[in-house]
Amino acid sequence: MHNVDNDAHSRLQCQGINPTFNMTPVDLSVFEKLLSPNRQVLTVSGKEFFQDRYKQLGWELREIKLRQTIRINNTNAQGKNLIERLNSLGVPLQKIPFLQSGYWVLDSKVSAGATAEYLLGLYSIQEAAAQIPVSLFSDLKGKKVLDCAAAPGGKTVQLADTMDNTGAIVALDVDKRRLTALGNHLERCRITNTVVYLMDARQTPLLNIPFDRVLVDAPCSGNFAGDRDWFKNRTLKDIQRNAAIQKEILTKASECLSRNGELVYATCSLEPEENELNMDWAIKHLNLQIQEISSYGQNGLTEIFGRKIDHSVARCRRVWPNETQGFFVAKLKRS
Amino acid sequence: MKAKAVTNFVATFGVDIILNPDLIVEKNGRFYMVDAVLRSLMVRADFFYAGLFLGKVKEGKFFPSFNLLSMLAKKNANRIVVDRKAAWLFICGRPLFAKSVVRVFGSVKKNTNVLVLNEFGECLGFGRIVGDLSPKVYSDEVAVRNVSDVGDFLRRERF
Repeated sequence: MHNVDNDAHSRLQCQGINPTFNMTPVDLSVFEKLLSPNRQVLTVSGKEFFQDRYKQLGWELREIKLRQTIRINNTNAQGKNLIERLNSLGVPLQKIPFLQSGYWVLDSKVSAGATAEYLLGLYSIQEAAAQIPVSLFSDLKGKKVLDCAAAPGGKTVQLADTMDNTGAIVALDVDKRRLTALGNHLERCRITNTVVYLMDARQTPLLNIPFDRVLVDAPCSGNFAGDRDWFKNRTLKDIQRNAAIQKEILTKASECLSRNGELVYATCSLEPEENELNMDWAIKHLNLQIQEISSYGQNGLTEIFGRKIDHSVARCRRVWPNETQGFFVAKLKRS
Repeated sequence: MKAKAVTNFVATFGVDIILNPDLIVEKNGRFYMVDAVLRSLMVRADFFYAGLFLGKVKEGKFFPSFNLLSMLAKKNANRIVVDRKAAWLFICGRPLFAKSVVRVFGSVKKNTNVLVLNEFGECLGFGRIVGDLSPKVYSDEVAVRNVSDVGDFLRRERF
């Protein structure tokens, strides 16, 4: 144990930080700086730091090699023998057991993102875990759906496809450049039931529309599985900032939820501040209840770095990176 | 009429489509077709994209979307079906030779537009007829110049 006072030590532990992490005597001045009242340890980052956090949450960090995944757009691909067609092109597929329309691409001879079938919108390239959130909604056809933070549109297209282009989707994003990608995605996949606005999801009450289904695929810190430099570029401060924004989005999005509506919250972050702790906060402050779901992944954690949270958070699903990237999903309804 | 650019373009393929002007919306020269449900949710005028994208007008010229071309293909517009290899080359932006054309539907006069379909009847884009497309012709001369093809989705992402 290094010379860290007891208060600081316990404060660090509450935040899931092992204060003895990566310390050598020469690091002490740095550590003191980090512990100054305003900065605390928020600027700490690095692979070992996060590895230690994950270990405390019950998971051992390991290297992940993600396989390419596609999702068949059933509305467009109906009756087109797509799997056979792709196989004959040299794009062999393997059904993903926990997804309805998801397939892994096995040793493809050609790029799955450059076939005529892709360009005709018969399928989309969408990571396996990212296909889970939309699948949690019940009975989407004919519904009014809000898709917060929609770009680049993988889940928007999945929503529209599941809805068979019925009902209506309002899709929002704050990044105009990413909206262009979303527009291209909608055009390629022949989506007809979506209106897109350049708009911050925190302004959704201004739309004054009660939505039957709300997807909060929240902007998040992401995870290392799809980003080689993730550990270098993230600090606890970033995570806490994102968690605060997510709470704001959840608050405003939940205001738009109709009486019997369903809200699905998802992130591709592994950090509990953006996941379980946000859900614990949501049920205490937003008059929401977490629903039971049947989905790939482990139960949400109900003890975070020694702190116990609401037992219903276990109904969420946490996906540690393995066959898929990391992910977190929860389905909520009004209490 | 708001969608005149669309209907004028459609007419060049020898078909007529009726568009309800109340359900056609335009934003920055881009035309969209929406249904009544979506229209009722369009509470803000500053939308970025809505419903089915039909195409855009740029410098007085109409550029159709692939959604519109697919609609025309289902409406018996002038169209040709090409073999697998030619279909791929067409998507890559290449022109078509007469020998690649498997079937011809409707009028295929020189200097007119024609839809290009693959062996599955899916519309890959359209071209301008610049050569002889009669069934007797078996030549290596360009018969259809590529005007627009679905490979554009990939080319757009490069920029």
